[in-house]
Parts: sequence; C-alpha cells; structure tokens
Amino acid sequence: MEFDQDITVAASPEYVWAFLWDIERMARCIPGCQSARTVIAGQRYEALVVERVGPFKVQIPLDIEVVEVSAPVRLRARASGRDAGMGSGLQMQLDLAISPAGSQTVLRVHSNVAVTGRLAVLGHSMIARKAGEIMTAFAQSLKRELEQPQADAATL
Amino acid sequence: MLPPFELHQPDDVRTASALVDRYGDAATFYAGGTELLLIMKEGLAAYRHLIDLKTISGLSQITYDEDAGWLSIGGTATHYALERHPVIRRHVPIVAEVERGVANLRVRSVGTIGGNLCFAEPHADPGTLFLTFDAEIDLASHEETRAVPIGQFFAGAFETARRPHEVLTCIRVRPWGPHTRGAYMKFGMHERPTLGVALALTLDAGRRGIEDVRVAVGCVGPAPVRVGDAEAMLTGRALSEIGPHLDAAARVAGDAADAVDDLHGSAEYKREMIKVFVRRAFHAAAARFS
Repeated sequence: MEFDQDITVAASPEYVWAFLWDIERMARCIPGCQSARTVIAGQRYEALVVERVGPFKVQIPLDIEVVEVSAPVRLRARASGRDAGMGSGLQMQLDLAISPAGSQTVLRVHSNVAVTGRLAVLGHSMIARKAGEIMTAFAQSLKRELEQPQADAATL
Repeated sequence: MLPPFELHQPDDVRTASALVDRYGDAATFYAGGTELLLIMKEGLAAYRHLIDLKTISGLSQITYDEDAGWLSIGGTATHYALERHPVIRRHVPIVAEVERGVANLRVRSVGTIGGNLCFAEPHADPGTLFLTFDAEIDLASHEETRAVPIGQFFAGAFETARRPHEVLTCIRVRPWGPHTRGAYMKFGMHERPTLGVALALTLDAGRRGIEDVRVAVGCVGPAPVRVGDAEAMLTGRALSEIGPHLDAAARVAGDAADAVDDLHGSAEYKREMIKVFVRRAFHAAAARFS
C-alpha cells in the first residue's frame, strides 16, 4: 500500500529538517505512538504504536532504521515490527523529501506499508483505508506541529 | 483456542457499564458471542473480562408503544426472537423476513441484534434495513443515556458511535405507514452477504405517484449507507414513468455506496450489482402494493 502526502508548511527547510530529528515532537505526530526513544542517534530508533479498529487492537513495537540522509533535503527510513499477541506484522518504508516553495516549505511524505499475519483477515481494502486515515492524520499532525510558534514549541 | 477470561454477570446496565470502565481495554460486553468468541479464538482480540449482558432483566424485550408509535427492540433480543416475535411480525414484518435470512439457525438462535449492530461487521443485513426506518439506537452507561440516529451510528468497518462503556439497550423503530411497502434483497457466494439493498417505497393514496423512497445499501463497503441522491431522483415521480429514473437512481446508488475490493468481489463488480439490486428491490416493493 503506497501513500503520498504533500504538506506545505510556513517554515524554512532548515527548520523542517531539524524537526525531523526531534524524536519527541515527531512521536507526537505519529497516530497511536505511545513512546519513542533513540537507540543510536541518527541511525536507529524504537517506537511503540497502538492502533485500534473496533475490537481489534494492534500493539506494535517498531524498529526504525534510517537508511539515507541527504541534509537538508531527503531522509529515508524503514520501520518494522510485530504484534506478538495478534500474530501480525508491519513493514513500512518512509521517504521524506523537503523542498522550498517561496516563503514556505513542502514536505513530501511517501510511504509504502505492508501488513501481514492474522490482521489481514480484515481485508486489504479495509486495512488500506485505515492506513490511509493514519497517514492523513500523521500529515495533519506534522503540519500542526511544524507551524506551532517556535517559542511554544520550545517549551513543550 | 479460546483464551481464559472471567465472566461477569451483572443485573443491570449501570453495573455492566461500570465494569467496562473499571477493567478498561481488558473488558468488553458479551451478548450472543457469535462474533466476539470467534475473533477471540482466532487471537484477533484478547479480553480478560467479559461482561455478560444476557443476565440483565428486560434487555431482550420487544414491545410496541401505541401512544408513541414506536417499536422497541431490546439489544439482547436474538435474531431468532426477531424472526418469530408476534409484535415484529405484526408491525414490521420485513424485519422478521430479513432476520429469517441472517446467517444460519445456530447464529440466529444465540446471536443478538445489539451485538450484530455494535460489532459492525460490514457484511451484515440488519443495519442496512434499519436505515430505511430511520431507527434510533439507545445507548446507556452508568453516566448517561442517549439516542443516536442509525444514520450516525455506523462509523466504518467494525466501528460505531458507541463508546466502549455504553450498552445498546434498544433499537427504536417507527413502523411504516399504510402506503409504504419495502423490500430487502441480497446475494452472496460466501457465508456472509456480498451485497444488501433495502428499499422502502411510499405511494400516494391513488398509488400512482411516489411520495417517498428510502434506499440503503450495505455489505459492499465499510458501513451501510442511505443513498439520498438516489432517493431524490425517484421521489415525486409517476410510477408509470419510473423506468429511466430508476435506472439513473440505481447508477447513482452504485457510485455512492463506497464499494471496496475484497474477497466478495471487486468494487466495480459490486457497483454493477448494486444497480441491478436497487432496480429489483424497487420492483419488489412496488409489487407488494398489488
């Protein structure tokens, strides 16, 4: 399942680039993210993501690996994890590209998401729809977080 | 294998609701269990506490309030009870007719109408039919009670407006008037329906003109939907000249039903089938006037 989001934010490319490495603020933008931590700065991170569809609750500890860095324009990462209880896995490739647009910045988010295991019983269309909702919420949160007054953001 | 759980059997809704609040994500309500126990056995959901609603007195009652003109169907009434109950058969016979076609006898004997609506499995019949009645869903907790129009109840596949600690206490249905007839038509190749179309047709006293039409489509997408645009294309038309308008409305219904690809068929196939079944349901409802 592939998703594309273009997020135009009133901030400089450098500010957006710095934001991508702020794990606390990034974690706040990921729907269902319960916790996140740095394993090796700039290389590996861990996050716990909990998502629910009706009675189906998925709890996935994600290993996130940064695979390409071209400051301040591109960041590629891959994430994978497995809900042991539900016997379902998630693999995700994330490609973030930053480009200036006048006084604003466009953050292009491309993601490729695969869900495996018992969760697939929900059906591909249902999962794709939910994943699309999550990616849209992620993009909206990113925009909101990025456009917060910087003084406010610094105090969070 | 079904994982171990503690079964709580409260006497009233307030206690049941408070128990879900107390145990949080580890608890859920249990009525017929025809869906819940299956997903627990499959390991798709895990609850250490099941709050049995069947021990709550009066929650399975089916009554008709003459003054209000409402039929009240208790949340733990089984499909079989709806199929057989004299109040249902007298005031809303199409509900009995549809319930007779739900799943199989084993499911109908223990599965409840409240469980069916709250589980919101997309491939289900009753929700689609109740949309054509503009039914209201009563939800109660230990904090408050509220009524939700069924059009606002289904939020998506397996998701509804019900909060985790709210019990669906009853579905309130106003029977159709003397100039209304309805039909529910479905088909499927698997155990669950691929498509369901409910249609309620109201004619004028002379039975020549269409006063009102309600069209609901279910099973093809995340949740059943009313198709207001299709209804508007039929309302006010003469029955004798309905052909082209019905074709156009059926096309609109096919496009508006939010069909998705799944094991039951492609979205494109479902859209085509909706067109066919909207037309069939209309003609079936119209034939019931003669």
